[in-house]
Formats: sequence, C-alpha cells, structure tokens
Amino acid sequence: MNLELLLSVAFGGSLLTYVLGRISSRLRDGLAVLISLALVAMVASLYGRTLGGGSYASFLGVPLVLRVGALSWFFAIATAALGSLSVIFSLSYMKGRERTSFYYSMMLLVNAAMLGVVFSGDLLSFFIFWEVMSWSTFLLISYNRGPAVAAGLKYIVMSIIGSMAMLVGTLSLYAAYGTLDIAELTGLVAFASTGYQVFLLVIFGIAFGVKNAVMPLHTWLPDAYAEAPSPFTAVLSGMLTRMGVYGFLLIIFVIVGASRHLHAGSGVPTFNRVLAWLGAVTIVIPTFIAMLQNDAKKLLAWHGIGQGGYMIVGIAFGTSLGVAGGIFHTLNHAIYIVLLFMSVAAVQYRTGGERDLNSLGGLIKKMPIAFVGGLLGISGLIGVPLTNGFVSKWLIYKTLILGGSPFLAFAALIGTWGTILSVYKFLHNMFLGQLPEKYRDVQQSPASMKLPMIVLSSAILLFGVLPGLPLRVINRIIVSFGFESLDVSLWGIASETGALSTVNIFAALLVGCVLVWLVFRAGARVVPVGQEDSYAAGAAVPVDRYHYTVSYYAPLFRMIAPFLKDFCDTFYRWLAGWVGALCSALKRIYTGYVGDYAMYIVVFLAALIFVQIMWGPW
Amino acid sequence: MARIHWRYGPPLYQPLIDILRLFTQRGVSHGRLFDLGMVLSLAGSLVVVLFLPFGGISPMSGSGGLLVVLYMMLLMPLGIALSGGEAANPNASIGISRKLILAMGYEVPLLLILLAVMTHYGSISIAEIVSAQRRTGASIASVPLVLSGIAYVLIMPAMLGVRPFEVVQAPQEISSGPMAEYGGAYLALATVQHALSAFIAISLFVNLLWGGASNPAVFFLKMLVVFVLVLFVNAAFPRLRVEQAVRYLWRWPSLIAFIGLILVVVVGR
Repeated sequence: MNLELLLSVAFGGSLLTYVLGRISSRLRDGLAVLISLALVAMVASLYGRTLGGGSYASFLGVPLVLRVGALSWFFAIATAALGSLSVIFSLSYMKGRERTSFYYSMMLLVNAAMLGVVFSGDLLSFFIFWEVMSWSTFLLISYNRGPAVAAGLKYIVMSIIGSMAMLVGTLSLYAAYGTLDIAELTGLVAFASTGYQVFLLVIFGIAFGVKNAVMPLHTWLPDAYAEAPSPFTAVLSGMLTRMGVYGFLLIIFVIVGASRHLHAGSGVPTFNRVLAWLGAVTIVIPTFIAMLQNDAKKLLAWHGIGQGGYMIVGIAFGTSLGVAGGIFHTLNHAIYIVLLFMSVAAVQYRTGGERDLNSLGGLIKKMPIAFVGGLLGISGLIGVPLTNGFVSKWLIYKTLILGGSPFLAFAALIGTWGTILSVYKFLHNMFLGQLPEKYRDVQQSPASMKLPMIVLSSAILLFGVLPGLPLRVINRIIVSFGFESLDVSLWGIASETGALSTVNIFAALLVGCVLVWLVFRAGARVVPVGQEDSYAAGAAVPVDRYHYTVSYYAPLFRMIAPFLKDFCDTFYRWLAGWVGALCSALKRIYTGYVGDYAMYIVVFLAALIFVQIMWGPW
Repeated sequence: MARIHWRYGPPLYQPLIDILRLFTQRGVSHGRLFDLGMVLSLAGSLVVVLFLPFGGISPMSGSGGLLVVLYMMLLMPLGIALSGGEAANPNASIGISRKLILAMGYEVPLLLILLAVMTHYGSISIAEIVSAQRRTGASIASVPLVLSGIAYVLIMPAMLGVRPFEVVQAPQEISSGPMAEYGGAYLALATVQHALSAFIAISLFVNLLWGGASNPAVFFLKMLVVFVLVLFVNAAFPRLRVEQAVRYLWRWPSLIAFIGLILVVVVGR
C-alpha cells in the first residue's frame, strides 16, 4: 500500500461524493461510508511499517515527500477510525437536511487533509494540508449559518494567526538550511544554536497552541464546538484539535529533539517548564468554567480545552512515562469525547435539537444506549478506574509526582475533581431525574447512531482493562523519539516505583460487585415504582417539572464565578475592535477610486524623485 | 454520642441490628441504574478497603498504589450519585449536588496533603510509605509533614460527613438527601457504604500520617481513637451552610496544607 494511493482515495472520494450527491443521495451515503471504511483498512495495512517516500511532486524546487512511521500511523489510524464512525453516525443525523452532499464532501475532505498532515514528510506539504484542513473545517463549522458563521470566523481568524506563525517558522528553516524535509532537518537543527531552537519551539508552539487550544489561545474553541453540526463536532474535538498535539510532538521530539527541548533556553524558565505550566492553567480554568455551563455542547467543549492541557503537561514533561501518557491521553480523549458528542447528538436528534441542560431530563428510560454512551464517556473523561482515561491520567500524575512537581500534579488532580462535578451535572440533567411530559414519546436512537456509540463504548472499556493494546504502539513511538522503552504488559505497566495492574483492579471490582449483588438479592423483595412515586416528606409531588437542574451548583457558583470570566476572550475582542478601527482609518486612504490611487502613485514617484534630487542615494 | 450529650442513648450494637432488620424489609426500586449504582458504590468501597494496609495486611498494595485509591474513592459518591439521580427526587438531587460541592471543598486540602506525603517519601505506594514511617517515625511527628497532619485532622469531619459538615444528609432540610428514596436492602447497603467510607478516610490518615501499625489490633486501636475524636466534634457543633463549609475548607485547612506542601518541597531540596 503506498501513501500516494491512500491520499488519492481520500481526496478523490471527497470530490466523488459531492458529484454523486447530485445524482442520488442514497448512493452518496453509501459511497461516503465505503470510502471512510476503506481508509481505515488502508491505514491499518500500514501497521508497523516505516516508509520514507520519494518525492511525489515538487513546488518551486522544493520536493514534497510523504512518509509513515510509528507516530504518523498512530494518529492516522485514530483519524480514519473516528472519521468513519462519525460518517456512519451522520447518516441519520443529517437525513433530510439541506446541502448534505456538501456536508459529506467536506467531512471526507477534512479527514483526507488530516491524513495528509500526519503523512507529510516535509514541512511544505505539512503546511498545505494544514491549510486545507483549516479551511474545510471553517466551512463545516459555519454549516448551520446564523451564529455558526460568527463562530467559524472566530476560528478561522485564530487559525490564520497560527498558520502565519507556522509559515514564518517554515520559511526561516528553509532560509537557514535549504531543505524542508523533516528527516533531514532532524539532523541539521540538532546543531543549531540554542536561541534558534527556542525560536523554532515558540513560533511553532503558537501555531500548534492555537489548534490544540492551549490557554491563552483557546478562545475559538467553545463557540466553534457548540455551533458546528454535532457529528462534525465529534471529529473536530476528537482528532482535528489534536493535530496540535501531533504538531507539538513533531516539533519538540522529531525536529528539535528531546534532550535539547528539555534544556532549551537555559535561563530560569526553560521552554518545557513554561509549556507545562501553560498546560496546567489550561487544565484548571476551563474545567471550572465547564462547571458553570448550561449548554451540553459548550460544557463538553470547555472540557475539550481542559483535557488538552493534560496532554500538553505530559508531553512538556518529556520523560518516557509522561510522553506516553500524553499520547495515550490524546487517543483516549478522542474516543470518549467523540462518544459524548454523539450521545448529545442522539438526544438532539430525538428531542428536536434541544441541548439546553435545564430543559431535558429522565431520558435514561427512553434512550438507554445514548445513556450508556454518556455514562462511559464521562467515566473516561473523569478517569474512573477501568476506563481508558484512567490509565493515561495515571501515567501523567505519576510522572508529575515522581518528577518532583507536586504543584503541577495538584493542578492536574484538582482538574479531575472539577470534571466530576461538571460531567455529573451533564449526565444528571440530561438522563436522570424526572422525564418531562413533552418527551414522553421520545424514541430510541436509530441503528446508525447506536452502532458507533456501542463501538466506542466497548473501546473505552477495552483500553481501560487492557491498556497494553495501545500502549505497545505508543511504546514504539517513544522509542523512535530516543526515549528508553517502557515495561508494558497487556494489563499495565511494571516499574520499581509503583506498578499498575488493571486486571487486578478489574477482578477485585468484579468480585466485589458480585458479592454485593448476592447480598442485595438475599434481602427482601424489591418493588419497582414509577417516577412520580417519590418521597417528599409529606408534601404533594408535582408532576412534570420536578427536576433539580437550574443552578445545580449554586453555592459554589456564587463563590467562584467572579474569578472565572474569560479574560482572554475579552482581550481579543477588544483587540479585534481596535484592529477594526485601524482598518476603517486605513479605508480613508484606500478610497476605492482609481483616480485617488493614480494620485498616490504620482505623489509617491514625485517624492522618490525629490529624494533622489536632494540627496541622491541611488 | 449520647454519653457526650449527657443523656441515655441506644446501645453500641444498635446499628448492626438496624442493618439486619432493614434486609428483611421491602424496598422500592426506580430502575436498573438505581440498583446498579448502589452495588457499584459499595463494591468500590470494598475494593478501596482491600488497597489500604490494615496493620500489615494489604492484599492489593502492588496494583497501582495511592493514585488508584484516590480514584477508586470516586466510585463511592459517583455510584450513589447515579443511583440517587435515577430516583427522580429533587431532595436526592440537591443532596448529591451538595455532596459533590462538599467533596470539591475537602479534596483541595486532601490532595495537597497526599501530594506532600507522596513527594516526601518519593513513592505512590502506601505500603512503602508505611514501612518508611516505621524507620523514621510517624509522619505527623516529623518536621516537614506536621502541617499536612494538622490539615488532615481539620478536614476529617468533612470527609466523614458528620456535623458541622452534615450538609449532604441534613435530615431536617432535605429529608436525608440521597438517602430519601432508599428503603429496605438499599438503605442497609447505603448504611454499610457510609460506614466503609468513614473507615477509608480514617484508615488513610492512620496509614499515611500516623505511621500505620504492624499488627491489626494496634491499627484498630489507632482508628478507634481518631473516630472517637471525630464523634466529639460531631456532638459539639451545629450544622454549617454549604457555602460556609466550602469557605472554611478552602481557607484554613487548604492554607495549612499548602504551606505544608511548600515545606516538603523546600526540605526535600
């Protein structure tokens, strides 16, 4: 399987889907699913291979190269798999909406561009695919019109700032070494001065920081996540945002090199320290903001930012345990956040687009699969033992504690508690409590929604009980970065400073559950009752709205809300207003009349001539 | 309890009789999650108990250490929360929201304390921390960890959910909160679970800060001392509001624990 063919299928499929959509919507749906599944198979067939490609094209004399290694394969398979699940999920979600051909085509295009990004062997193709990815994302975020367009604009403006930073970095590399091939750069940058390495880390850090929504570059994310069509939000949060993590791994460990990254900027705050602290801030503040949200998708979006912080902290710490934790958390986060957004989307689909947490409730009895998806999703997000999120968080905490950074560890752990509060509210307000009268006839989720949710739910449990499956692949990445190999077994990690064995925990919990269940069954008989039959200390129980949701954490809210304004967003808005004023001032010069421009040219030439006559510099 | 109040009370074995009696009584169920949450919560507490060394006996100390304990402790409130959530009773929901807020309150100092202990001993394994204390003496008596010890004592009533932090149950306000819908076997299991969570909080203190013990009898004695002290606090104080509780927890114990952590880092250098 060569990479050119894979990417041609990906990009061609996107185009073909659009064309076919003109003819028959049924055929188009089938084709979209087929292509996304084919991509999974093609990427899977590349497992364990390292291809350094020859150049497939060249641009202004710069050869464009594709390649695949352990790192690329890991991100590619996650992208392809989650992409295909999301396309399957879209089948019923998008049914009957307008511009569906455009939607599917863009969805596949984003997928193809992400594969292009991870398979790029040089920074120019990286940049080109990156831009395709950003722009097609913009089109999909704005798909719903209205506020979605504003959200999309915010995204694309931030994204362009990031891209510009990346372009500057890329050009400076080309100017310095005359090549953009990643493999060649690895050898060359290693001998560069420390100052130049820090420059590279910072300039690319801005680019990837925007994409991965590291504070203070996160402001595009909540709006974009909330306004995009839900199945696409899943892709956006699961993989697309995490291309930033891929970028960080690429620049830190592949191009600049791990040992240098750790000491880059030998002054007091080294680059990795600063990055780790940014990560810690990114964990804590968004998690607490999430607690105060009443919009299901916004709540998850803020968690998307917060969990990105864990990955950054792990990667920035730069030990084999920490980097493994960071990469593993990227995968785990992708799995559970996609599942959570799907769960929300299923509820939206059946309740007529409702995502306000204060008007839902009691849906567990109507939509059990969506509930199980939500439950396992939040368990993964919290990192409940025996779900996948636990293992990666365990790796990160252990790194921080044993690495002598208790304050970073505190930030990470307290972030977890904030997560519990907010996601319990999420689950409780949607699925638990009383079912409102108007949702009495809500149907189950359709099969094409159930399937992806079941697949992802099982993945959460599978990777939670047998974390060795993905960790073995991650171990290969770690080794390719030049770290020492981890002692990974199928069910955990052995090390001298405290091992982890998920199978032991699983067995203990299982035995515990069975025992308690038996004791429980041995007790007296239990009578099932309806939701109206509850105890209210003698007062009459009102039917319908008897569900405690509004201002769920009111006492806490009163205490912490003043500290949690999104200062960065306010600042950017002010900046945007200021830039707008500047632009309208400039507009007075650029009047749009040809005559004026002609006059400017004449005046400019006259000034040049004047200068030449007076001082004669030329 | 009654003895402290200078009045007559039920005998010491009364709770046991209550639990046995509850098992024979009929309960109501609000659905599958209502049952499962309860089971999960109790099973979670049982597993945590297995992780904690009880005076030399520690069946599962090699499977992940303190970090796992910290996370397994989540299962207890989470299970109750899921189960109580399905009950569709606002009193239960209010109780759960209070429980989570209160937990947020005492987790801040607790995490600082545990991090101080883990950093000081350079290990995340409880068994190792206990054996290290056997060599150097109890951590609460040593210089860098004395503040962490004091902070733990200060948050202990909140972790046990007794007065003045009885905001979760608050029988007079929200009819026992999460317990409102439990009857029969459910109530029995919930009571056992509550007892186990108290056991875990105290046992964690004895293991990490009071040197553990080499045999179960001494360990039990140490736990009993702490428990009676907490009972005195319970008997003497009225109930706080949720905000007051959180404000207290985030102010003094957190401050002391924070200084304690800094002390550990500084001394460790």
